[in-house]
Amino acid sequence: MKTRFVLIGVVLLGLIFGLSMLTAAKEYVPGDLLKAGFIYVGPIGDLGWSYAHDEARRICEDAFPWLETVYVESVPEGEEGLFIDKLILDEGCDVVFTTSFGFMDGTLDAAQRHPDKILAHCSGFKRNANMMTYMADFYQIYYLNGLIAGALTKSHKVAYVGAFPIPEVKRHMGAFAIGVQEVDPATGLNVRWIYEWFSPTAAKEATEALIADGCDVFAFTEDSPTVVQVAAESDLPSFGHYSPMYDFGPDHVVSGQIAHWEAIYLDFLAKVYAGAYTAHNLADVNYWWLLKEGAVEMGAKPGMLINPVYEDELKAVIVNDPILGTISVYDLVMKRLEQMSDASMVVDPFQGPIYDRKLNLRVPEGLRMSEFELTTMEWAVKGIVGPWPGEQ
Amino acid sequence: MKKPSLFRVERRPVPSGHVVVLVSILAIFAALLVAGIFFQAYGVSAIRAYQLIVKGALGSKLGLTETVRRAIPLLLCGVGLTIAFRALFWNIGAEGQLLLGGVAAAGVALFSGLPNVLLLPAMFIAGFLAGALWGLIPAALKARLGINDVITTLMMNYIAIYLVEWLIHGPWRGPTMRGFAYTDKFPSAATLPTISWTRIHWPTLLLGLALAVLAYLLITRTRAGFEIRVVGENPDAARFAGISVLKTTLLVMIISGGLAGLAGVGEVAGIHKMLLGPTHISMGYGYTAIIVAWLARRNPLAVIVTSLLFGVIMSGGDVIRVSLGLPFQVINLFNGLILFFLIGSELLMHYKISFSFRRQ
Amino acid sequence: MGWEIWVIVTLSRTLAYGTPLLLATLGEIYAERSGVLNLGIEGMMIMGAYAAFSTAYTTGSPWLGIMVAALVGGAFSLIHAFASITLKANQVVSGLSLTMLGLGLSGVLGRGWEGKPLPVSIPEITVPGLSKIPFLGPVLFEGQNLIVYFSFLLVVVMWYILYRTRIGIAVRAVGENPATADSLGINVNKVRYLCTIVGGVLAGIAGGYLSVAYRPAWTEGMTGGMGWIVIALTIFAFWNPAIGMLGAYLFAALYHLSFRLQPWVSPELLKAMPYAFAILVLIAVSRGTLQKKMGAPAALTLPYSRGEE
Repeated sequence: MKTRFVLIGVVLLGLIFGLSMLTAAKEYVPGDLLKAGFIYVGPIGDLGWSYAHDEARRICEDAFPWLETVYVESVPEGEEGLFIDKLILDEGCDVVFTTSFGFMDGTLDAAQRHPDKILAHCSGFKRNANMMTYMADFYQIYYLNGLIAGALTKSHKVAYVGAFPIPEVKRHMGAFAIGVQEVDPATGLNVRWIYEWFSPTAAKEATEALIADGCDVFAFTEDSPTVVQVAAESDLPSFGHYSPMYDFGPDHVVSGQIAHWEAIYLDFLAKVYAGAYTAHNLADVNYWWLLKEGAVEMGAKPGMLINPVYEDELKAVIVNDPILGTISVYDLVMKRLEQMSDASMVVDPFQGPIYDRKLNLRVPEGLRMSEFELTTMEWAVKGIVGPWPGEQ
Repeated sequence: MKKPSLFRVERRPVPSGHVVVLVSILAIFAALLVAGIFFQAYGVSAIRAYQLIVKGALGSKLGLTETVRRAIPLLLCGVGLTIAFRALFWNIGAEGQLLLGGVAAAGVALFSGLPNVLLLPAMFIAGFLAGALWGLIPAALKARLGINDVITTLMMNYIAIYLVEWLIHGPWRGPTMRGFAYTDKFPSAATLPTISWTRIHWPTLLLGLALAVLAYLLITRTRAGFEIRVVGENPDAARFAGISVLKTTLLVMIISGGLAGLAGVGEVAGIHKMLLGPTHISMGYGYTAIIVAWLARRNPLAVIVTSLLFGVIMSGGDVIRVSLGLPFQVINLFNGLILFFLIGSELLMHYKISFSFRRQ
Repeated sequence: MGWEIWVIVTLSRTLAYGTPLLLATLGEIYAERSGVLNLGIEGMMIMGAYAAFSTAYTTGSPWLGIMVAALVGGAFSLIHAFASITLKANQVVSGLSLTMLGLGLSGVLGRGWEGKPLPVSIPEITVPGLSKIPFLGPVLFEGQNLIVYFSFLLVVVMWYILYRTRIGIAVRAVGENPATADSLGINVNKVRYLCTIVGGVLAGIAGGYLSVAYRPAWTEGMTGGMGWIVIALTIFAFWNPAIGMLGAYLFAALYHLSFRLQPWVSPELLKAMPYAFAILVLIAVSRGTLQKKMGAPAALTLPYSRGEE
């Protein structure tokens, strides 16, 4: 009995060693049919992050007759290497997009394992000759949403339910707080963390806790419309996140951030198809796309920048801007949107002077935060109230 | 006046090895059949699904290596569980013991400052000890205070999960990780080598195979193994014979917990090369290992085969996720059905159900 | 004034989140009192959640959804009962397999339902007049729903049955000493079947509550391990429905507070507490006589066959 089992083990090991040759890799020829694979960290039904990526994938497939796509959802971190291999080896993908920060090292490993294939990693910072990075960031939109929140709050307490205390979320919270403080310096941004990207239960309880603490306007980073719904139940306004969430609170979703990953995907895939991007020249390719590239949009749903229900209220709040003079918040938001959408990006939320909540000057007057500073941001902007793990 | 019972269940003497294997295979087929029915309900051709599984898990280089890779933690945990089950200690806590092993390995890799050549051995030893400790607590509670082992091991799993979460959110969060909830990457001297381009971290695999053999020898050829078996089959007789139930219980849980801890070291040092979220370290390996050990009829050597079988299922599950778009949970469906039919088949083997209208 | 509102909101949230915990715990108390350990609760709850949501979505009636959830939970527990009681299989393994099955099945079947908002959910109730009672009014009579009130009733009824009726004596006897119970004319297996099914039905309703009342939506795995907390709670409750209610609300409060108190207390610590508490409780009652009075039913997990051994 024992020898039988040992034999099986030996045979198997032999098989594996025998099979350990690198797979025959065929590099993509520009102009051929292109197959792209997408790896998502969550379910596409989340109506959040993964849903937005999948929508973009569909748009690309409809737009390009030469493109075929395939996707895998709910891939745990640590397993992305396996699924990249599957997509490349079994499904024959020429390009693979991995859509979560946690996939970074696995994607890099895969890039080194398959030097003739193209990898693209979202929200990370490591690249390779055949691996680029891309991000459509919301911080400008959060700033605009913050301006609105500052005008709408009556309790002078605005809330943000955050997922993980990582720079991306901190950056968004910071931009939101900067907007709030620009309209009303007396209003604070109360934050709570739920330590999951997707947890309707935790989001609900966190929102209830913030409502109990007196907050009356809500923004969040969580991959479901829970915060919107819970706030709406208490008749409180909120901002949608990632996907159009207007339908979950037609009288309460004031605005929000909408992702248009297709802006990046269409651009990149077209360039691969044309041969401009290959598996050898991606080491410096980094999409950091914002309003001006059309990668992100403000709105409760596409085309609805601000919910008409709240227009009058916003037009009634007047602020004094050093450059624009007396202006209603509604007009201020529209103006800032115009300024930031301009190719030269006339203004930026993170331009100095900016203080952290310990009142240290972080960004001097006349300077802006660089992309590196933004993607490694750990400190809390003035006006933020609440736990801030990793505060520096 | 007693009511007549419709059927009686009576025990059969121990069935032969061949019957056991045959019935087990039948149980698995039954489970796959039922799973197929659910696929059809979902709108997927069951035949196509199974074709894909076989081709994906066994018919491609990638699939085969993934099957083996998945089997490694199942092997280690499974062998440990066969030992525990032999002493009738229901160790549902392999999941938590695995996590503790990972924690210990991470601690050594990142903070011990040991010279490079000592790192990996120290990680394995630390992992074994951590897992053993985690298993020792429920063991002591059962042996000394008579507290139910199922409950305590289960609860310890969750405490372990929150321990890992606390570490990666707080004190062990890696400074290079830009605020994300992971530890830093392990230095390369603290990571396990893999076979060529595959993800098979072979030192852990060899360790698992060796330990399976050792465990088999322990159970069948040593005095300690004999004592374990007696405690499991007849605790009263064991006490009468002067066997210390306390010592035996502690011993089996040191082994079982320690082996699960080694599995954790393997996952953390071989696959992820850092400590990350608990549900990413172990995808239910500790629970699946229960089925692995059960199917192996508590024979450590048979675990080599059964762990590979479940490696096929997990690997195959990944394939149908990609090709058929079925959700992650489909693997749980397989596991649950197989386990269920296994219990059923076991009873068929050990018990005879006779229908009668006899009054009693 | 501020602290008053603080307490009211905490209690109100506790009630909301604690109700599914309470329902499932009551059921498991009965099952375990009769000697059957049901580790399949998580699977029954998630299947209940899926059944309730899909039924409510297609028929427009959340109440029908709850009923179907109860049936589904009961059906699952019937399987467990059959395996554990009649076939005398290992209860641990049988329960675990049903949890895996429930998780897997609900995930596969629930595929297309994610992200769909439920048009009609269990309505919130505000009792006019009663809700004006200072302090308790807003907690108990504002924004809760019928299922919450049902759970109050259930605690009373189940406590009464267990400790003040012959049925309850039978249940407890079957769990403590089935041989004696049998000799007194009690049909051990029938009692166990009934208790296990009650457990499953309540677990199903608890799951259904989550998906049509608490947070009307379906997501795979949405019970998030609540079933395991129920197992811990059953022990924490000393297998007593009244204490079970306190325990369920205590843990619901802890969960809510883990967000409220986040600036000051580690959320992981608060989340680990139910499990640590359960172990501590077991240790505390493990001394001989205490075990008899407040400990686990002696015959828990042991199948009974007449005339064996």
